[in-house]
Amino acid sequence: MTAALELRQIRKSFDGFLALNNADFTAMRGEVHALLGENGAGKSSLMNVAAGLYAADAGDMLVDGAPVRLSGPSDAAAHRIGMVHQHFKLVKPFTVAENVLLANQRRGFASGLREIEGEIRRHSNSLGFAIDPDRRVDSLSIAEQQRVEIIKVLVAGAEILILDEPTAVLTDDEAERLLTTAREIARSGAAVILVTHKLSDVKSFADYVTVMRAGSAVATVNPRAVSAAELTTLIVGTSIAPPPRQAGTPGPLRLNVSKLRCARSDGHVMVSDLSFAVHGGEIYGIAGVGGNGQTELAETFMGIREPLAGAIEIEEGGQFVNAGPGAYRDLGVGSIPADRYSYGLATSLPIADNFAIGQVHTGRYGTWVHVDRKTMRTAAEAAIRDFDVQGVRRLRQKAGLLSGGNAQKLVIAREFSRNPTVIVAHSPSRGLDVRATAAVYARLLGARAAGAAVGLISDDLDEVLTLADRVGVMTRGRIIAEFAAPADRQAVGKAMVDHA
Amino acid sequence: MLDVDAKTETAIFAGGAKPAPPRPFRIGRLNLEIRQQLPAWQQALILGSAILIGLLLSGVVLVIAGVSARDLFNEFIVNTLFDGQNLRAVLFQASPLILVGIGAAAALRVRFWNLGIEGQMIWGGICATVLSLYHVGPDATRLPLMLVVAALAGMAWVLIAIFFKMRFGVNEIISTLLMNYIAMYFLLQLVYGPWKDPADGFPHSPAFAPYERLPDLMSGFNSALLLAAILTAVVWWLVHVSRAGFYMNFLYANDRMALAMGAPTRAITLIAVLLSGALSGVAGFAVTAGQEGRLTQSFFEGYGFSGILIAFLGRSDPLAAAIVAILVAMLFITGQSLQVFYQIPFAMVQLIQALIVICVAASEFIVRHRIHWVR
Repeated sequence: MTAALELRQIRKSFDGFLALNNADFTAMRGEVHALLGENGAGKSSLMNVAAGLYAADAGDMLVDGAPVRLSGPSDAAAHRIGMVHQHFKLVKPFTVAENVLLANQRRGFASGLREIEGEIRRHSNSLGFAIDPDRRVDSLSIAEQQRVEIIKVLVAGAEILILDEPTAVLTDDEAERLLTTAREIARSGAAVILVTHKLSDVKSFADYVTVMRAGSAVATVNPRAVSAAELTTLIVGTSIAPPPRQAGTPGPLRLNVSKLRCARSDGHVMVSDLSFAVHGGEIYGIAGVGGNGQTELAETFMGIREPLAGAIEIEEGGQFVNAGPGAYRDLGVGSIPADRYSYGLATSLPIADNFAIGQVHTGRYGTWVHVDRKTMRTAAEAAIRDFDVQGVRRLRQKAGLLSGGNAQKLVIAREFSRNPTVIVAHSPSRGLDVRATAAVYARLLGARAAGAAVGLISDDLDEVLTLADRVGVMTRGRIIAEFAAPADRQAVGKAMVDHA
Repeated sequence: MLDVDAKTETAIFAGGAKPAPPRPFRIGRLNLEIRQQLPAWQQALILGSAILIGLLLSGVVLVIAGVSARDLFNEFIVNTLFDGQNLRAVLFQASPLILVGIGAAAALRVRFWNLGIEGQMIWGGICATVLSLYHVGPDATRLPLMLVVAALAGMAWVLIAIFFKMRFGVNEIISTLLMNYIAMYFLLQLVYGPWKDPADGFPHSPAFAPYERLPDLMSGFNSALLLAAILTAVVWWLVHVSRAGFYMNFLYANDRMALAMGAPTRAITLIAVLLSGALSGVAGFAVTAGQEGRLTQSFFEGYGFSGILIAFLGRSDPLAAAIVAILVAMLFITGQSLQVFYQIPFAMVQLIQALIVICVAASEFIVRHRIHWVR
């Protein structure tokens, strides 16, 4: 039997960062095939290649045994490949039928809409989805929107169905229903690929699982034939020994978080009863699978999100101050956001301004009457040199033109030149190449040596194990286990996936 | 449930060579690409061409309406710029336009669309008139007091909209626009009712005393222009020199990042929006105490739209907005003489403004995208 989809030796790099390193993958019709791995292991990148969103640098792709080269997502659809993305691609104020029509163009609008409505009803009935084609998408729940996405690719005739982290946004019941549906779709002759980092989904619903690590597929196994521990070992690996690191000398307590509770913008509580403490001269790593409240925690420290309950206390002059939004920076907290282009920088403004905003309120760059551009430029120039920010031709150049690594260095330059006593970094090396990552790590370790309390929230287990003096595992908005360095990789990995 | 058309299936997957999926016959199509960047001179060229196309279209409309092409040139260029009297009239007319233009620009710098300029002007005019009607304070301080009260009135009117936006998330485009009607009907209530001029019975307030009117300066230029120039300089300082202006740039570019950086985002938004309201109120004062010399029932008409237009064409820069305002004033003055000598309705001026704005707005699309034809 020929494979429905076969990917051979796929390579893909972004900006010098090798995301896919000779990855192989094969999916058969009639099966649910899981693709398992940590964040950044290359799962989504590989599937984006299969869905025609990324062009591979090297490697072959075969559909039903015939080699193909995709020019884009519509070309993938013509080869009956459909992908449901983690972030839905729906136009909210439009109806279900209009959204499906947008992705599956017909000759006429009114007649096409009628045609589409019929097809939606047919798919909806056979899968038991109960989706009304006339409902507006913004009136649907997250789970229903996901069903619309699935119907969208089925109407396009997809027989190779890729679901990217489909259960991340669902409740347990919803997830179970979805995965049962995925099995039904597979039974009817399609190949269903389930991208996930949840071990439980894989164990109960997948026929086969391919584990990815650092851009390569490391094994393909029957999930029922192996134990959870064996799968964990495959996911996190064993070979990489943590680099030698000097033990820190923890000072007095600097940051104390107790019973913190935060909600997402839609009201869903993402952080609940979260408590941890960080000493000066210590890096406290918060490991965990992405989407377990890390973003909300980081946003709280940036002062963007107001906690519902609990306290964040920061030491200042010998006593602890309960920090409210807007006060973090004044209390000496420096933040390094995961998404540096949406929280770290104003991409359309000059590099010098992006540097100077960190301290403009102190009066260092002139009074409120007059912003002293000259001092600002001199300071920015010095910081760019000190922190080795490359690719700055002029200080008036827009910050958005910097590459990922240099943009991150600019953020770090701004935050660290304030000599912060508490640093909260969220996945600080996300999307960076090896050199830039090393530079970021050196800065964090430098801050630790200088006596700052560093909170490191990261989806990347390697990052946490490399840097942290103590590791807390965050699941469903709370710390469920703590490990002292050197933490056992298997134990941390198990804690991460067991409760997810 | 997966209905597979068997024929298409083989057509696509048969053998090693892959035939293209069947496509309906097409003549060709337009392909759109997003541009990364465009050199400044090309952007300026596109902007210039857009304005020119808008003017040409306006010319065509005016020629159809019965004005000969030669007269058009005379009215628009020769008579307005090379006649001292007309030039003074243009600058007099420009003053309130500059005020509403820089007012709209200040609000746009924090992404607040102040469509309530007319309502704020009306309240500015009404409150200034109160001082005149009830002889508040000594005569000598009357005019500066009217100015201050008008500014406060405009500020108070926009404060309602910004409060509802910050507290309940009410879209300011709707609230400021609809509040114009409240202000307008209140004004009509006044001038048709208690404030009707007893001298002639027309629906306007009694005339202001000479010391309640904006005086002409030495060379015959009105002091309203001086007022507008000073306030332009103030707004320019605020957005380009002050720390608040520095924060405004971040608020405009990335408000979440500005918040994360500890910028006082609420205060900065309030400053810009209240300033916008105050400038509109002052514009209302400048028209009532300047051009009209009394509170009339329609003194504010057209300024709301013009203010937004001036800020838009001036790219929210106060200095550029002031220059655009003078050009729009030329259009206003020419429109008035077209009205008198050619019986062209004044709405034509708004039509011309609209044509230019449509052309400039459309040109943005070409600045941002590359279009090419694919067969």
